This record gives sequence, C-alpha cells and structure tokens, in this order.
Amino acid sequence: MQFELSKVDKVYVSSEEIKVFGAKDVNIKIEEAEFMALVGPSGSGKTTILNLIAGLILPTSGSLSHGGVDITSMSLEERTRHRLDYMGFIFQDYQLLPILTAAENVEFPLQLKGFSKKEIKQRVEWALAQVGLEKLGKRFPKQLSGGQQQRVSIARAIAGRPQLILADEPTANLDSKTAQEIIELFLKLNKEFKLTFIFSTHDQRLIDQVRTVLYVKDGQISESRVHNV
Amino acid sequence: MNGFAYLLKYSYRNLFRVPKRTLIMILSLSLGCGFIIWDLNFANSGSREIMNDFLTQYAGNYHITHPDYYDSKNKKEFNIYKTMSDEEITDKGQIEKSTKRAIAPVFVSGEKKTLGVLLTGLEVKKEKKLSTLYTAITVGKFLSEEGSKEIILGKKFAQRINIKIGEQVAVIGQALDGSIANDLFTVVGLLDFGGGDLEESLAFTQLNSAQDLLSMPPERYHQRVSFDMSVETVPVLKNLGVSSWKELLPEISVSIRFIDNFTWIVSVIIVIVVSLGLSNTLMITFFEREQEFTSLNIIGAQSIWITASLMIEVFIMGTIAVILGAFLGFLATTYFHYYPINIEVFTGGKSIIMGGMTIAPLVKIYSVPKYYWQVPLMLYFFLILTMIYPLIRVIRRSSNAI
Repeated sequence: MQFELSKVDKVYVSSEEIKVFGAKDVNIKIEEAEFMALVGPSGSGKTTILNLIAGLILPTSGSLSHGGVDITSMSLEERTRHRLDYMGFIFQDYQLLPILTAAENVEFPLQLKGFSKKEIKQRVEWALAQVGLEKLGKRFPKQLSGGQQQRVSIARAIAGRPQLILADEPTANLDSKTAQEIIELFLKLNKEFKLTFIFSTHDQRLIDQVRTVLYVKDGQISESRVHNV
Repeated sequence: MNGFAYLLKYSYRNLFRVPKRTLIMILSLSLGCGFIIWDLNFANSGSREIMNDFLTQYAGNYHITHPDYYDSKNKKEFNIYKTMSDEEITDKGQIEKSTKRAIAPVFVSGEKKTLGVLLTGLEVKKEKKLSTLYTAITVGKFLSEEGSKEIILGKKFAQRINIKIGEQVAVIGQALDGSIANDLFTVVGLLDFGGGDLEESLAFTQLNSAQDLLSMPPERYHQRVSFDMSVETVPVLKNLGVSSWKELLPEISVSIRFIDNFTWIVSVIIVIVVSLGLSNTLMITFFEREQEFTSLNIIGAQSIWITASLMIEVFIMGTIAVILGAFLGFLATTYFHYYPINIEVFTGGKSIIMGGMTIAPLVKIYSVPKYYWQVPLMLYFFLILTMIYPLIRVIRRSSNAI
C-alpha cells in the first residue's frame, strides 16, 4: 500500500508575524520496497517530513494518506495505532529501553500489537537473526556496543514486518566501520524482504546506497535523484 | 493477559532503573506508614490503658440502675434512694458480669474530726473477681468476705481524721426511710489512689453492712457496676437505666476522642508531607524518562499504556512500602507491648491524675487491626493524588515528534 504526501505544507507559527515553513509543497509517493533518503542540512525540514509521514505531526495543508486512507482525519490514538500496525522506527540514539533485554526490546511492539506468545517468540528470533544478534538476546542494552544496540533497534523495527520503516539519522552515532555494516544490513533487509525504508541522513555512504534521494532545503524538496543500485 | 504480563514486567523492571532512588522512596513511604500505624496504636492503647486502669479499679465501664437513678440531664447527680433488685434484670448474663453496690453520702468521725465521704457497700467476693479495687489497698487488707462493719478509707482521709488500722470510726448518714443512720465501723485497710482526690472522698464497706446502716432490705441495692471491658456497646435492659462511662465521664470521653482525632490529623499531615516529597521524586523520575515516553509513543504505545505502566510501577512500589510499613508498625507496636512506654517521659516525670486517681504511667501498646488497612488505604489514596500531576505531564508530553 502506498504512502502519499500531496501538496503538504507545515507551518510553525511563533507569533503573528513570524511563520516558518517546516515543509512546503511536499509531494512524495512511497512505493513498496522503496529505499529512500531525505537529505539536507540541519534545519532543512527533513525530520519534519519524516514526522509528517509518520503522522506524528499533522500538515497545515495538503493531504497525507496511506493506501488511500487519510491519516490527517485520524485521532491521536488512531494515528498511534496506525504507526504500530504499519511502521517501524529506527532512531539516531537507538532509544532502547534500558530495563529490558535485547529480545524484550524487540518484543515490545509485538506485545502492543497483541500477538500470541508463540508468534512473538518466532518473530523475535527471526528479527534478531536478521540483524545477527540471535545469541545476544538476553543482554541488556548497556551490555551491547553502539552498533549492536542499533541492530537491536533495527530488529525491533522489522519484527512486526511493517510496510514502512522510518530511520532518523541511523548511522550518525556509529563509527565508520559499524555504520557501513548497518547500511549493508538495511540493503539486505530491503532486498531480501522488500522492506520499505525512508532515511533522514547526512551520511554520504548511505546516500550513495539508496535508490531515491530527496534533497530538502527550507522545507521544500529541491531535487530528487534515482539511483540504479 | 500476555500483554498485561508484559506491562507488569516492564513496570516492575522500571523499579530497578535507579535502585537507590526506588529504595529511598519505598523506605520513606514504609517508615511513614509504620510510624503512623505505631502512633495510632499508641494513642489508642494509651487511652485504652488509662481508661482500663481507671475503670477496672473503681468506676466500671457501665452502670445498671433504677431508671430514675440519675438526673436525666446530669449523670453526676444521683438519687441514692432509688433502688433496684436482681428480679428487674431480665438479661441474667449481666448479673454475672456486674456487681451490686449500695451508695450513700455519710459522715465519718474519728477521734478529733468528722468529715463527709461517699460510702459504697460492696459485694466483696464478686468485687475482688471483677474490679481491681483491692489492688489499691496499700495499708491493712481488703474487706473480708464473711465479715461485717469493716471499713476501708482513703489514706489521705485517714490522715485527716487521724485514724489508724484497727481503730473504729462512727459513720453517720440518712437511711432509706429518712431516719438518721449511725453505726461503728472498724478500719481494716487504707486505699492509695496515688494521691488523687478520690482518696479523700471514698470509703468502702461490705454490702450487707451498708444495707444495714441505710435500712435497706438485703435484696435492694442502688446500682450494678460492670467491669467487663470487652463489652463496647452498652447493653439495653428493659425498664432499667444503663449508662456507659462515656456518659458518666463525658469530659474524659471527649478528651480521648480529641486525642484520637488529633492523632489522625497528625497522621494525615505526615502522609501529606511524605506525599509531597514523593510527588517531587516521582516528577523527577518521570521527567527524566520523557524522551523514552516519546519514543514509546512513536513506536506505537498509546498514552494510556505508558500511563498504566507508570501507575503500576508506583502501585508496586506503594504495595511493597505499605506491606513493609505495616510490618514495621507491627514490630514497633509489639516491641512496645513487651517493653511499655513510660508516659511520664511526656509529663516531665509528673503523675497523670484522672477522675481523682493516679494513672499507671506504663502504657502497653496493643495492635488495632483496623489501622493495618486504614493507614495503607490512606497512603494509597495520597499516592493517587501524588501521581496525578506527573501523569498529566507524561500524557501531554509523550505525543511528541521525533
């Protein structure tokens, strides 16, 4: 099912005179198995666009839909449920729950979805295996390296087999070698399982690997490129 | 159920996020809870011990009398001519639990002085079984069961009329038929109520001797006094007046009620102070995790899930604290049951005199079961209040963007 942003504006009003466009006339269609990056300097609006796609913020004007369903008309609770059902998230600083083990962190969205115990076990094992951490499931985040924590974060995002994975600067906190490994993992997941990824990134290595690059400047998509990767 | 178990696990694990802080919160709550339970038990036991001392020694916890015995408006004024008999008591169980008394104001004359006193005729055998009056005899002995015309006087009173054990006193009063009653009585014992006024205003003799003096038939007497302290409700007897000590000693009853209520007020203040401290700590704890709540919401956790997890976390902590607190309260209460507190510590070493009697200064603390659920319930109530503001903040802030 397609995610679509059409003529989306997001205006932040700090006073009557000062209005800032977080996003301006944004049009994006996200097809299945898309591997896309939003690229731009800090404050350019790429995270705003990521938030709009996720339904975390609502556009001031324009439409935001998923499979033809208007996300903007959903209540806060419905949008949260929508994210749970269809999206996975990867954060720059991993955002793992420190009091849960790696496996329990991966389990989190599955529990929220209400899967059976058996299915949760299978999915957690599958997700951890995909990120190469099948033997480290019982470790707590503080017992893992940064790269391993990001892998757990990826496993959590993919465990529910979402239609869209949004990753905000996923390699920013990693060293060069680990970042490369993570990028390769994204590529593998995209190719093997047709998982759709949207990245917000500065990382040129990641930009070089994505299929579609959307350059964002002052809230607008100034340029888009499609690579044959 | 699976999801709820996970929620429980998540909430429980959160307690170990900053273990020292959790431990301090649990300890402050449990110490507060334990202290309040102990304090309430102490206040209750203090009142109970004092009243027990006072009532079992002489006054009794309720009086059964002729319906017109007491002035209806002032129960301190009574009509000594109104008598009753056992036939008038339909509940025969009351006869077992109470003892007969014949009472009259009389003059007692020694060698040099005549002074007024309230003479009480006692059923000696039963009185020894039910009351602890005999324990107040410090010189001489208590009245003999078979003897007659024996009298016990207060130590101070005996000093004032200059009478010693074995000497005779003349007792003069007004008999039931209005005639002048007088007879000689032998002093067999001296009462010591610890220096209270009662020592100067009470005298005791055998019931039959008092009845003889007052020209009262043997089956007639003025009142029955019960000492069964386990009976809290005043029995209702047909055609008879029944007065509890609370009616007979309203000022003491009000004082005890005041102490009880004041202790509760102090307890609530303690809980509020503890809760305010706890609220502050909870706010710090919750606000430190705001970023995490946002992430959870982004991943798909509804605000209600996050809120529920926090509430469960606080309730787990609260439950551990109140169980520990109740146990600490019980331990402290039990300790001071076996090692009673000397309340003279609070009076600068001075004796406490109540109703003319000196009260035993040692207070044994007893556990009152209802405090073991009332106090935890109160703490839970304040815990809920404590959580409201931090939770509202969490709900508002959790729905944030990346």
